[in-house]
Amino acid sequence: MIPSLSLEITVLLLGILMLLVESFSRSDDKRGLAKMAIGILSALVGFSFFVDPASGNAFYAVDATAHFFKVLALLTTIVVLIMSLEYSSVLAKYLPGVTPGAGLGEFYSLPVFTCAGLMFMASAVDFLLIFVSLELVTISFYILVAYMRRHTASLEAGVKYLILGALSTGFLVYGITWIFGLTGETNLAAIQHALATKAVATTPLLFGLMLLLTGLGFKVAAVPFQLWVPDVYQGAPTPITAFLSVGSKAAGFVVLLRVLQPFLGVPGVGVKVLAVLALMAALTMLYGNLAALPQDNFKRLLAYSSIGHAGYLLVAVASVSDTKATFGSAGVAVAFYLAGYLLMTLLSFLVLIVVARHSRGDDILHFNGLAKRSPFLAFAMLTAMLSLAGVPFTAGFYGKLLVFAAAVQAGKFWLVGIGILTVAAGFYYYLRIVAAMYWQEPGDTTPITIAPLTRTAIGALTLAVFVFGICPQPILRQLKDGGVSAVQENAGKPPQSADGLRPWGV
Amino acid sequence: MTLTLNHYLFVSGLLFAIGFAGVMLRRNIIIIFMCLELMLNAANLSLVAFSRFNLVNGLPNYNAQVLVFFIITVAAAEVAVGLAIIVALFRARQTTHVEDINSLKF
Repeated sequence: MIPSLSLEITVLLLGILMLLVESFSRSDDKRGLAKMAIGILSALVGFSFFVDPASGNAFYAVDATAHFFKVLALLTTIVVLIMSLEYSSVLAKYLPGVTPGAGLGEFYSLPVFTCAGLMFMASAVDFLLIFVSLELVTISFYILVAYMRRHTASLEAGVKYLILGALSTGFLVYGITWIFGLTGETNLAAIQHALATKAVATTPLLFGLMLLLTGLGFKVAAVPFQLWVPDVYQGAPTPITAFLSVGSKAAGFVVLLRVLQPFLGVPGVGVKVLAVLALMAALTMLYGNLAALPQDNFKRLLAYSSIGHAGYLLVAVASVSDTKATFGSAGVAVAFYLAGYLLMTLLSFLVLIVVARHSRGDDILHFNGLAKRSPFLAFAMLTAMLSLAGVPFTAGFYGKLLVFAAAVQAGKFWLVGIGILTVAAGFYYYLRIVAAMYWQEPGDTTPITIAPLTRTAIGALTLAVFVFGICPQPILRQLKDGGVSAVQENAGKPPQSADGLRPWGV
Repeated sequence: MTLTLNHYLFVSGLLFAIGFAGVMLRRNIIIIFMCLELMLNAANLSLVAFSRFNLVNGLPNYNAQVLVFFIITVAAAEVAVGLAIIVALFRARQTTHVEDINSLKF
């Protein structure tokens, strides 16, 4: 049994070590760094099953949810590093430097820091830790998005992400401020205790929560805060686009689930927050899926698709029961959907990077006739697209089933109706890629070579998409056993400073 | 007249609104960035005010003041990274105006 915090500390030390090696090594080839990081992170996935469940405290929860999201963060980072290795030739072209490999080491080490932030966030149950870990993730993403300094699109994407990311931070912090002002606490368990025992004015509390939702809405790319997504996704280096669409979303949703929990039971607040979330979910599903229809650039298409998937996830969040303090089936649906989304998104980006390197472009027409050039890649992409569209026996189908089941349970039938309509729209644009791969003639018939590491990752992800779709029971059982809960660990402990609390305005 | 919590919250709300309006209306990226910092400082001001006026056992609530220090530190990191990105953009495009950042279709 090891203390849970040692996982994050190891990841941080790994990142610092990589930066040091990058600075002092004389070798031009920095691929070894990424391979070392992949090895160490894989080992940490194994170690994460042996953490001491009693090693949490008031700031840092150690529970099944935290463990699940930590494994997701580690796996995502591993795949992103594999993508970065594959992408390094493109990257080197757009980096100013005397030697060909200059600057690549930092590109491998920054995702490791992001991973540490994501892992801290999975455990964070205090606004202080939530804020700092969210910023660790966001600030390293600023650098990564703008990394290709000789590529105007990457720089522009970086500036747009910087401005809108900082704006969302502003909203988030102001929301935290108001919630602190009303309850006198930054700890989620203590906030729940304060809300249950003291009279708190509802209007300012709702104001604070709406500011908080705005900030988190930016992170998960929910309508109306989605404007940055298509541009940033298209301009950023492709491995980072994949990391953004998976990591940023997972982080946003785990924080959303944990932060909402203390407020759901408050009369006059929980119902309103859930209504706003349901509205956001409906708009996000519609916007993401309809705007994706006319897209020709594959990265941009995936950006809109990622907005659409945020909509389905929000349906699950909005279906949380507003009377109980636990999440039950809706929380399980969010976690399962995110895991499935991670697999299929990473798979499609991995194939995209390989294809784009050989076809010199990332539009849909570059996928023409892929089945003739590389049946393996075409099959992997087919799997990813079918799963994203939600065809049975794939991870995407089962995730959508759980989400809609949670919505039906909560009585939100109109959301299910909109959801099914948008899934139908989704079929159209996902199958366009499939049609291009299988029924179009290739413009260039040279077979595509794939590095062994990439081939292994593509194979494993394809397999996992089917495993999640065909026998999801073991994963679901593990999630249900732990339960998605924010404050289990500290619910029994009395908060420290609830005595001198004076709600503002009363 | 004595200053109450409401006065501080009013000023903080004003700062936040000025910052947000600046982000929406101004066209120069450096100014937009300054307005973003203003929004964070609005939060800091109200945190300190809440801490000072909601006494716990006769002492200010120091949780908020610790949070303020973290916000200041994070804002500094954000500025360091942000200005570097803006400088890189200026080198590439010779501009800091948002209208000129249009190579990606919006």
